[in-house]
Amino acid sequence: MAIKFKINREPVTVDVPADTPLLWVIRDDIGFTGTKFGCGIGLCGACTVHVNGRATRACITPVSSVENTVVTTIEGLAENGHPLLETWVEAQTPQCGYCQPGQIMQAAAMLRDFPDPTDEQIDQVMSGNLCRCMAYIRIREAIRMAAGRLRAAAPQGNDEDREASHA
Amino acid sequence: MLKYLTGRNQQGPGHTRDNADTELPSPGRRGFIIGMAGAGLTLAFARSPLGLANPARAVADGAFEPTVWYQIQPDGRIIVNIAKAEMGQHIGTALARIVADELEADWDLVELHHVDSDPKWGYMVTGGSWSVWQSFTPLSRAGAAGRQVLIEEGAKKLGVPPDQCRARNSRVIGGGRSISYADLVSSGNISRSFTDEELKQMPIKPASERRIIGGQTRALDIPGKADGSTLYGLDASLEGMVYGRPIIPPTRYGSAIKSIDDSAAKEIPGYRQTITLEDPSGTVPGWGMVIADSFHAANLAVDRIKVDWSAGKTAGVDEQALLDRGRELIGTADQGVLVLDEGDVDGAFSNAADTLESEYITHGVLHFQLEPVNAVAREKDGRWEIHTGNQWQSLILPVLSKALGVPEDRIVMRTYMLGGGFGRRLNGDYAVPAALAAKALGRPVKMVLTREDDTLFDSIRSPSVQRVRMAFDDDGRITAMEHHATAGWPTQVMAPGFMAEGVNGKYDPFAIQGALHWYSMDGHRVRAIPNDLANDTFRPGWLRAVGSGWVNWALESAIDEAAHKAGEDPLEFRLQRLKAEGRNAGSAPNSVGGAARQANVLRRVREISGWGEEMPADTALGVATTYGQERNMPTWTACVARVRVDRESGRPTVEKLTLVTDAGTIVHPDGARAQVEGAALWGMSMALYEGTTFRDGNVVDNNLNTYTPLRMRDVPEIEMEFVDSTETAVGLGEPATTVVGPAIGNAIFAAVGVRMREIPIRPEAVLAELQKKADA
Amino acid sequence: MAKRLSLAVCIFLFAGIALASWRPPPSANDERDQGKFDPALVKTGEVLAGIGNCSTCHTVSADKPYAGGVDFPTPFGTLYSTNITPHPQQGIGSWSREDFFRAMREGVSADGSHLYPAFPYTHYKNVTDEDLDALYAYFMTREPVDHTPPENALRFPFNQRFLQWGWKLMYFDPEPWQPDPAQSDQWNRGAYLAKGLGHCSACHTPRNAMGAEEKDRAYAGALVDNWYAPALDASQPVPVHWDEEALYQYLRSGLSANHGVAVGSMGEVVHRGLNRAADDDIRALATYLVSLSGEENSTEQVQPAEIITAAQQRADTDHSAGEMLYVGACAACHYNAADKPMAARAELSLNSAVTAEDPTNLIRVVLEGIGTDSGTPVLVMPGYAALSDSDLVALAQFLRRRSGLPEWKNLRQRVEELRELHRQSQVTEAQQAGE
Repeated sequence: MAIKFKINREPVTVDVPADTPLLWVIRDDIGFTGTKFGCGIGLCGACTVHVNGRATRACITPVSSVENTVVTTIEGLAENGHPLLETWVEAQTPQCGYCQPGQIMQAAAMLRDFPDPTDEQIDQVMSGNLCRCMAYIRIREAIRMAAGRLRAAAPQGNDEDREASHA
Repeated sequence: MLKYLTGRNQQGPGHTRDNADTELPSPGRRGFIIGMAGAGLTLAFARSPLGLANPARAVADGAFEPTVWYQIQPDGRIIVNIAKAEMGQHIGTALARIVADELEADWDLVELHHVDSDPKWGYMVTGGSWSVWQSFTPLSRAGAAGRQVLIEEGAKKLGVPPDQCRARNSRVIGGGRSISYADLVSSGNISRSFTDEELKQMPIKPASERRIIGGQTRALDIPGKADGSTLYGLDASLEGMVYGRPIIPPTRYGSAIKSIDDSAAKEIPGYRQTITLEDPSGTVPGWGMVIADSFHAANLAVDRIKVDWSAGKTAGVDEQALLDRGRELIGTADQGVLVLDEGDVDGAFSNAADTLESEYITHGVLHFQLEPVNAVAREKDGRWEIHTGNQWQSLILPVLSKALGVPEDRIVMRTYMLGGGFGRRLNGDYAVPAALAAKALGRPVKMVLTREDDTLFDSIRSPSVQRVRMAFDDDGRITAMEHHATAGWPTQVMAPGFMAEGVNGKYDPFAIQGALHWYSMDGHRVRAIPNDLANDTFRPGWLRAVGSGWVNWALESAIDEAAHKAGEDPLEFRLQRLKAEGRNAGSAPNSVGGAARQANVLRRVREISGWGEEMPADTALGVATTYGQERNMPTWTACVARVRVDRESGRPTVEKLTLVTDAGTIVHPDGARAQVEGAALWGMSMALYEGTTFRDGNVVDNNLNTYTPLRMRDVPEIEMEFVDSTETAVGLGEPATTVVGPAIGNAIFAAVGVRMREIPIRPEAVLAELQKKADA
Repeated sequence: MAKRLSLAVCIFLFAGIALASWRPPPSANDERDQGKFDPALVKTGEVLAGIGNCSTCHTVSADKPYAGGVDFPTPFGTLYSTNITPHPQQGIGSWSREDFFRAMREGVSADGSHLYPAFPYTHYKNVTDEDLDALYAYFMTREPVDHTPPENALRFPFNQRFLQWGWKLMYFDPEPWQPDPAQSDQWNRGAYLAKGLGHCSACHTPRNAMGAEEKDRAYAGALVDNWYAPALDASQPVPVHWDEEALYQYLRSGLSANHGVAVGSMGEVVHRGLNRAADDDIRALATYLVSLSGEENSTEQVQPAEIITAAQQRADTDHSAGEMLYVGACAACHYNAADKPMAARAELSLNSAVTAEDPTNLIRVVLEGIGTDSGTPVLVMPGYAALSDSDLVALAQFLRRRSGLPEWKNLRQRVEELRELHRQSQVTEAQQAGE
């Protein structure tokens, strides 16, 4: 079944079974390997990507349900530039690093909904993303730093924002 | 843990350890060569003294020690080559930092290149900070040699005598002018060598002159981990590969496939076939492998394929059986190995005014490294390539050789980043099924385990049963302690060459480390016993801190019980026994100061944790202290946990952890904090949130729906401090895991008066104890 | 059982008068001429067809619009919708205006046979001539599709169409609804749309054993086609009662910060049905539907912020397996700041799927997820079918506790049933993919 969507600004058409998880389409068919496989049941967040600007667990999202959407992976976020990528380095957040693209994608989506997040909000939203190295303290710190920068840099806006702005 | 493996390798006999010796560059015997290779300048330890005569040729031939070498490119980039597994410890950065500091390099120009592994690298195992520290001197010399040569070249170009030049930030400066390393490499034809004697004379900068070590330079592997460009084993992809997903048998050992019915899978688009793996190495008996064009198709197929097995004899083993077997072994005097038997233990007990005896239990812990194990295997021109993230290639290569029926030197393991190690990838057993499938098919296979597969195949931290007995005299002094510990023994199962010599036999040092404590007492007996049923039922694994994780749960809980029994302050009670006398005095270089340094971290944690202050109801502080892992290389650690217990639910909430660590010299303060943060939270997670049990021969918890490691919202306030020290640097990645659990248990006792002796500590168990106490 | 017996009695009674029940066709009229339909009228008809949500029931696949074949599992067996394209044999191509009007208002097909009330002529009777003309024009100008829907698979005696005559005698009042002069024009317009083409109560009102809407429980909420249409009357259990603005937003966008997101059948109503309707009509619908909950709704209401705060506090001390699942799976997208719940973050303490008396919607959404095709076109929620039944039960129990509501009684059974339904639909999908 041919399914069309945009990924990191490029239109793609993939011809795979409709129930194929988006994760494997992104990694194995399209070739963006920054999105990781952790638990496969939507509970660790390593596979988090954006669909229409909202954080989505790709391992349990059938590719058919993202038809005609805009998908962004960590590669797309990095290419566009995002303060989280800088603060993640400044806070020296990653240890093994495997969960970090998912953490960053989740954090980026969160900062849209909570531009000035409290610690409680960061904890509630980010607790869905498991970091097995338990680098949580630095994840929090990097998010706080990035939030400050985003607010300083407002007004902001890019394609993905616009396409998600209805919500 | 590996730092211990490699650390011991000079002491013992056996070829394995001799091989391990090549882990470190040995410049003293071989010298150093600097020469042009292509447009770049290569700087490396010579493989043999012969290379010194013609450095350019030696460099061109690659006749140098592979473990660490570096190159300076004409554009100024300094590429440090690393043949090590990176799993979060930023090892490449650690090595490069030492070189770059002496080289006076511009850190922004330093890059890492994680080289593919190859048999020519010799014994391959990735240690931690220990090997970094042991490499400190040779790596410093390597950097200094580079600096010296570049200064000499620069002096020529600048027309200034070398002794009036200095190097800084990748430039040679003299006579009011400067020239960059890039320009020197571009224009020069540098060829130099240093004999081992010359190397030893190399002027190493005093610590005060260090600009990169001890500073806040950033880890080089981090940007790629943030932007998704770093490649892990799961990201490996080879031309023409198909996907493999195993069908895992009902028991770890002894299962055999009788028949496979894949008729219902045949209609799945992309499904190819299911193979019964023939494994001469015995690593994966009874495995099937579903082969498909996509991982998704393989997953769909696995759900529809019916396999009929004859199961191994452990198919019915449950948690109770494992614990019962442990108790039975402890109760049988001739079982296990005496690791230590000092003083008149029996006499102390027969003359005791009072005794204390407790049993402590820990349940299994999954590695749950976030990247499920995986491997891509292919044969190309008679050589096998295994693409996977692995920590201990030299342990699995002989197994692969047996499995594939080819000599070891025809097997290459390619290096990838590890999506979490924690000891799981010391055991490379997952490489075997991928290789077998590729062999059976005659084409490359990418085998990926789902999370559920990964947990079933995990080499978990074994459940343990321990009994601690203490004898007291009339004054309440501990006159003797007996510590009996039984668990699955990873080293016995996977690396018997690394077993240690006890009083009456060989034992797994990793399964008992922590018991050889630094408290002074007259009699001390430690008995380690392998739980044979555990060894048969699953493959016990090394997991972050290994035995220190469970041994200290028993030891530090027992000491706390003794303190309370004596009616003394538990922290003061410990201090009184940390005497630094006799065998606890410590010795140079690693354990200088002995128990006095442990007492020091304990005193310090008392000062900064608010020990002794008034606490709200049902809230209290608990303390624990350990020497990290290895008595010969102690990391002195103390922790105070502040815990509140909800009497209604029994739930303990950790409000704060205060940790003081003496790990000698801290090479990279920020990195040290990161390691201790992670390790402390691991300790807390294992104490309260993790833990699994066996049922029908396998672990019950297979994924995050029921296995629930600590998440961000559970993170307590953490305050930590490192003792300012110039002693030998020791490990930091694991010690904090050993101390947090007992500190929490002790805090629970202080808060509500119930003694928890089982990890994980479940609210229901606390509640039951509270009820018992109320009833009593 | 008692219901079944009385049902059988009725059936025999009706059988006796079966012969009297056949209705002769109105005079055949083949003088249709598609060119004669005013394009403006066709356009109006298109909007009206949307409000009537015709395509949801009459379209199986996008390449065969209105060709029928959608299955309706009922307690009496499975019904299949008919082909309403102007195909002369398979569709309604040979139907006259009068045939069409009679079908819409009386539930009698052009051939004289009685239609089952799954076709909501019980509501369409309220549609004006003017609107029916527009609909007729619209359908008669569709592409004829040569497609025969499957035969109805009703058990005896329900497969006897003449029985519908008796059903009508008992449950069908052919008199059209009359506007209420005491109400505003906007209210009356909304009532006309809701009671007529919109046939809202067809889903939102419980039905009796004979499949007729229970008049005295109008809009009390009902389970239809394995989606639960929540109560819109005074009994609505939502913590924040609907007001006109919220309902307008919901019917327009499918999103309401204080209630949830339209998915399943309601998602289709909003995004494929009402999407062409004029704003005024949507406002009118909102005015009327809000009035259904009566006066209570004007009483002092708890503010959303208080509800959310209370829910978050309950969650903080819960620590159950369900709570852990919520934190791992749900909170990343569903957690809200108490003072600013966002529609796209569907606050679960306010959400109809959680607060409804029936767990169906929550279980289905968790199991199946929401694709762009089944909910709001821009929102995607993954399905959590990989969680076990026990996990889903624990999660649902937690969400009810979090909202301060009692546990659903039939929860585990519903989870098992809907799991099976989900499994079957996946098998069907896989087979279609295989073909």
